Amino acid sequence: MVDSRRLDLLDPAEVAGLGGIEIVAQGVVEGFLAGIHRSPFRGFSVEFTEHRAYQPGDELRYLDWKILARADRLFVKQFEEETNLRAMILLDASRSMAWRGDPARLTKRGYADRLVAALALILLRQRDATGLMTFDEAVRQVIPARVKAGQWTRLVRGLIDTPDGLGTAAEAALRQLSGLLARRGLVVLVSDLLLDRELALTALRYLRHRGHQVIVLHVMDPAELDLAGPPEVRFRDPESAASVVVRPRELAEAYAATVRREIAAWRSACRRHGVAYHHIRTDMPFGMALRLLT
Amino acid sequence: MTFLHPLALLGLAAVAIPALLHLLERRTPPEAEFPPLRYLRDAERQSARRLRLRHLLLLILRTALVAVIVLAAARPIVPIGGGGSGSGAVHAPTALAVVLDNSLSASAVVDGRPVLDRLKALARASLAQAAPADRLWLVLADGVARAGSREALLASVDGATATPQRLELVPAVERAARLVAAEPLPAREVHVLSDLQHTAFGAGRVDVPGVTELVLAPPARVPANRGVAAARAGEGGLTIAVSGTPGASPTPLVARLQPPGNAPARAREAGRTLAAPGQSVTLPLPPLAPGWWIGEVLLDADELRGDDRRLFVARVAEPARVTADAGVGPFVSAALAVLRVAKRVVAGGEVSIGERLGAARSVVLPPGDPALLGQVNRALAARGVRWHFGSPGPPGTIASADLAMVRGVQVNRRYRLEGTEGDSGVVATVNGEPWLVRDGGVVLLGSRLDTTWTALPAAPGFVPFVDALANRIVRGEAPVTEAVGAPRVQFVTRGADTVGATVFGPDPRESDLTPATADELRRAFPDARVLGDAGLAAERFAGTRRADVSGLLLGLGLLLAAIELAVASTSR
Repeated sequence: MVDSRRLDLLDPAEVAGLGGIEIVAQGVVEGFLAGIHRSPFRGFSVEFTEHRAYQPGDELRYLDWKILARADRLFVKQFEEETNLRAMILLDASRSMAWRGDPARLTKRGYADRLVAALALILLRQRDATGLMTFDEAVRQVIPARVKAGQWTRLVRGLIDTPDGLGTAAEAALRQLSGLLARRGLVVLVSDLLLDRELALTALRYLRHRGHQVIVLHVMDPAELDLAGPPEVRFRDPESAASVVVRPRELAEAYAATVRREIAAWRSACRRHGVAYHHIRTDMPFGMALRLLT
Repeated sequence: MTFLHPLALLGLAAVAIPALLHLLERRTPPEAEFPPLRYLRDAERQSARRLRLRHLLLLILRTALVAVIVLAAARPIVPIGGGGSGSGAVHAPTALAVVLDNSLSASAVVDGRPVLDRLKALARASLAQAAPADRLWLVLADGVARAGSREALLASVDGATATPQRLELVPAVERAARLVAAEPLPAREVHVLSDLQHTAFGAGRVDVPGVTELVLAPPARVPANRGVAAARAGEGGLTIAVSGTPGASPTPLVARLQPPGNAPARAREAGRTLAAPGQSVTLPLPPLAPGWWIGEVLLDADELRGDDRRLFVARVAEPARVTADAGVGPFVSAALAVLRVAKRVVAGGEVSIGERLGAARSVVLPPGDPALLGQVNRALAARGVRWHFGSPGPPGTIASADLAMVRGVQVNRRYRLEGTEGDSGVVATVNGEPWLVRDGGVVLLGSRLDTTWTALPAAPGFVPFVDALANRIVRGEAPVTEAVGAPRVQFVTRGADTVGATVFGPDPRESDLTPATADELRRAFPDARVLGDAGLAAERFAGTRRADVSGLLLGLGLLLAAIELAVASTSR
């Protein structure tokens, strides 16, 4: 029996089996917000603009105690910058994201779609203008950041309508994105980071330079962390068609070390440039992934 | 290095199998998508050197494993140095002679164990290590070299018991060495397993090149021993000689006599005395009735029991009734007078001694007048005697197996004694020609018993000689002789009469257990290696000892397999 209020803590593949992206994302967000009882994102300004009805997950410190005492109703105070937070989510839709090491798991793309939908829902519920950009070799979908009703549905539709692409060119997408964000905002890059690190970091550094808060979600299948397989196998890169014959057992140790080194390099480089980096495995419950962002 | 199964080496072609498998294994691996190929390439780049080394190591290990297994199957034999005699050790085909001294002295008990048991165990060990390709001999105390298979000779060793015989060690070892030296085999060994009694060594030495002589070292300690060396019943009584360790204390001796025709249980004590090794004592015997008496001399039991008892035979006969004619000369007359006083002869017509043939038993001397020779010869022929006097013969000395008292005595004048039946009846010879013969009841002498003819009348043995002539030779009786063998008496009979006896007993030299000195050993066996039990075990077949290293190779194979498994199963 699945507890619909805590879908955020269940196995992602099981949760994905409950329905489409919308249902899953809503369930995850409900469970997630019920668990943390505060909004995961905060604005930058303290200039009060208006009240809005309290929603689960909102921080209690923004609760207007006077209204509560007077009318026995829950309202939270909103501030100028918060209401105008513009978040753009960049989703890597390249071919490599459509891979999974085990049929019982979600592909990286499947996992990322649901995570992005949940994240967007949380942001929109906070009345943060949220947009989406999907890319592979080129930018495939751009949904500008809005806070109006129906935005989340558009975002989900954008996710669904973006097919699995070919190669990965994050640097171009990031540069294009910087043009879309006129004011300082939040940029969330969701990718398996099988791309040119230096180019991507250059673009991320540029975004930071423009004053944006940048978060990188590095999505990896558990099978990408530990090499396994038959005694000898020809592994082929789905994006470049390059291949290599290896004996997984004799290379597993070196491979694991290389992957650990790569993750550490990303983490280190991001920290150096003020970019938040989070490593997410596709078998990680969505709630835990979202909690990394808080 | 040689191989017991060289055909198995054809299997070395299989060393190519690992390389072939290595190549075949690489041909068509399955394909799979794997996005983080860049990580894989990085990992491969960083591990390339290690992986190449690992693959090379695995290839070498597998190839070596196959080679080692094939080599083990071929049963390689390699030369190894001395020391050790493990189960895997073999040796080049060897001619081996084991000299096992099972003479009487080997039955001595030293440190609570018969020496022979130890010698047999060592002989067994030598033979047990022999291979089918070896040529084997076993030489026992009888000096006979027995060739045979390992199993047959092991059975002979098991069945060997101490014998009364004395082993002439040096000639026996020399014969054994020459036997093995004649074999066209790569190695030749003689193992001498003896108590190395001092008395077993003569003056000879073993000098046969190309033969490895391994001599068991003499025991560090031997017990003092005493044995009855001889017991002879004579006119003066029973003469007993004691042999054994020089300087040993005197030992009590008991003589017992068994009346003729009675069982040994009826034997009675005839006297007691005391004697030390090297001494000879005479024990007076009580008056005995005529006949052949068997007696024994016993001494107290000691570590060597085989020489503590010796048999003897006493012949008691009625004195011969002798008459002598005037032609016998003064010396014979005097001797007969002495014998009459001693009651060895009495006057009578049973035996006549003289120049003429008597009516009964006769001892015929050549006549002083050569003209009478023909007459005497005709009388002899008429009596049916197959001997007669011939032409004069050259001077010489007397030789006789029977009459010890006349051996070496000079003969100046003599007639040749010529017979028609070969040498039958010859009792003594001069220059190899019959000098004293007997045929029926007639005895012919080639010389007159006079000092102008022979020095015999002046010799100490003259009276005993005349005694023997009258009481024994003319009667056709053989002397009581002694021989080496298991203690027993063997009588010589002619018809219903007993005419002689042989008394068997151990060789008296066996009683002295004193081992040979190092100098004696070096002199007798100049090229031999004198070793203790352990040394002998280590040096047997050491010259060409080889080891079947297939077991070692299989162990190495297991080790290689374990290493291969470890290398193949580890990813680093």
